[in-house]
Amino acid sequence: MDRLRRAAVLTRLIEELRRNGSWCGETHVQKATLFLQDLMHVPLEFEFILYKHGPFSFDLRSELTSMRADELVKLEPQRGYGPRIDTTDRIKYIQGLYSKTLDKYDDSISFIARKLGVKGVAELERLATAFYVTANLAVDHSIEERATRLTAVKPHIEREEAIAAMREIDQIIANSKH
Amino acid sequence: MPKTIHEIRDAIHVFVRLDNHEREVLNSRPFQRLRHIHQLALTYLVYPGATHKRFEHSLGVMELAGRVFDVVTDNATDEIRSLLPELNNPDERGYWRRALRMAALCHDVGHLPFSHAAEKQLLPNGWDHERLTRAIISSDAMKAIWERITPPLRHEDIVRLAVGPKKAGDLTFSDWETILSEIIVGDAFGVDRMDYLLRDSHHAGVAYGKFDHYRLVDTLRILPTAPSGESGGSKEAALGVEEGGIQSAEALMLARYFMYSQVYFHAVRRIYDLHLMDFLREWLADGNFSTDVGQHLRCTDNEVTGALLDAAFDSNKAGHVHARRIVQREHFKVLYERNPDDVKINPEAGAAVFSALGTQFGREHFRHDRYHQSTGPPDFPVRLRDGKIVSSLAVSETLNHVPVVSVDYVFADRSIISKASEWLGAHRAEVVKPKGEADNG
Repeated sequence: MDRLRRAAVLTRLIEELRRNGSWCGETHVQKATLFLQDLMHVPLEFEFILYKHGPFSFDLRSELTSMRADELVKLEPQRGYGPRIDTTDRIKYIQGLYSKTLDKYDDSISFIARKLGVKGVAELERLATAFYVTANLAVDHSIEERATRLTAVKPHIEREEAIAAMREIDQIIANSKH
Repeated sequence: MPKTIHEIRDAIHVFVRLDNHEREVLNSRPFQRLRHIHQLALTYLVYPGATHKRFEHSLGVMELAGRVFDVVTDNATDEIRSLLPELNNPDERGYWRRALRMAALCHDVGHLPFSHAAEKQLLPNGWDHERLTRAIISSDAMKAIWERITPPLRHEDIVRLAVGPKKAGDLTFSDWETILSEIIVGDAFGVDRMDYLLRDSHHAGVAYGKFDHYRLVDTLRILPTAPSGESGGSKEAALGVEEGGIQSAEALMLARYFMYSQVYFHAVRRIYDLHLMDFLREWLADGNFSTDVGQHLRCTDNEVTGALLDAAFDSNKAGHVHARRIVQREHFKVLYERNPDDVKINPEAGAAVFSALGTQFGREHFRHDRYHQSTGPPDFPVRLRDGKIVSSLAVSETLNHVPVVSVDYVFADRSIISKASEWLGAHRAEVVKPKGEADNG
């Protein structure tokens, strides 16, 4: 996917996350993009590895920085918390150039924004790591086995939280297929 | 009694101290090779003082890594100790301190001649200098050094800390290993960056890269992540600072901004890098550097400089045209650069201009250079005087407003620049306009 087309998709995702109540800091965008790409198969071509708060893409961080340099997105500093990411007026023009692409992926974007929009960083960390662990195990494993793997890679997550995250991720994966 | 600690004079840190094992690494072939790799490639053609090498930079990174390790481990709170058990065992702490300093010492051993210049284009797919660094740290010769240490160092640990998760996504990092690798290569407080800003600034003769690194290092801490959003944050530990260090962290980020805009992205420096890449493609067998460790260790800036001087004055030699542009200072000149009006219409305007000029006058007369910083303002935890942890971006107006450096140059051959410039002036609006999917599908 070329850069401007990808910017159109990412900015639409940011708009939808905010519309669904997301704080929309970098972590929120990182995790939502992971799900959009790897669960909904939108070919954004970012590489995710286990890092800050679970799966993380340095390529995506670089893309967001570049979009900020081009004034397609902006940071909104918030007193007491990390900044929120918002789109600028300039993005309407870019989205207009790629309206066919956005039509194609709008349902997937809306699904992810509805599922993740209300979630905070700690919940997103658990859920995204649960998804990453589930997707990267070679064969099917039980919820308990996957929860053990999750707490091994993120020891600050409690076992009960890991099990709950695994249940929720199984539900989201099932819903995404309908 | 024989000495066990050795001192080396250093332009930035006054003294760098090493133990016997570290000196063994210093004496190894991969490390000595760094005496012949310029830190800033051909930047000395623009800033004549910038002739310093990766050798002294790597020593500086080791010195700073040791200092940061001592500060953050001495000042860890009980909450952090419960998250990172490695902090509670003195033997383990000693092991990781040594592994960190060795990783810092070795973090650049994989650099190609002239450092970063055109690395992507001059190595086979999937290779970069970090992968070469990994291969060297894991080579039999280096493993023999790691195994002579008591307790022996695991080469995989040194690899993880030297290149970090960004360049070793295939390896699993514990939270502790992630924090240690951030001490070296982290976006916010990596000592690699701290040293190169201070050192490059010193040698280039510009003041932009200086900041109060003494204060910054003294105030670094391992802290719980600050809440991001009203629903709270993760408990994951990260590298952060005490409130009293926030101004020195701001100064570091401003130093980075000024060094990028004034030195690293200087237009003439950038075009020399492109001419060097063109030369190397023609000079190297198969147009690529070898990924074989033995071959890599045999090739330094010296061999390339010799070939450049040779080719510049002999039209029969491979790469003659490009060598002449460098050696005789006949480099291409800036014809187009990024500007707010064009970015508003097309953020990739430079690529459009380059393509149109190539079609009109022939591609060989132009070079395109597009680069932007890969990270924005760093979001790290800050411990306020009342003990509360907040995001750096919640307490620092400055960090929120440091601009992102982004360049988009089109360079032209001097023989054609006037004509090309005139043509572009007449066709700019239609050239810059993006095509979108109506035209592209």
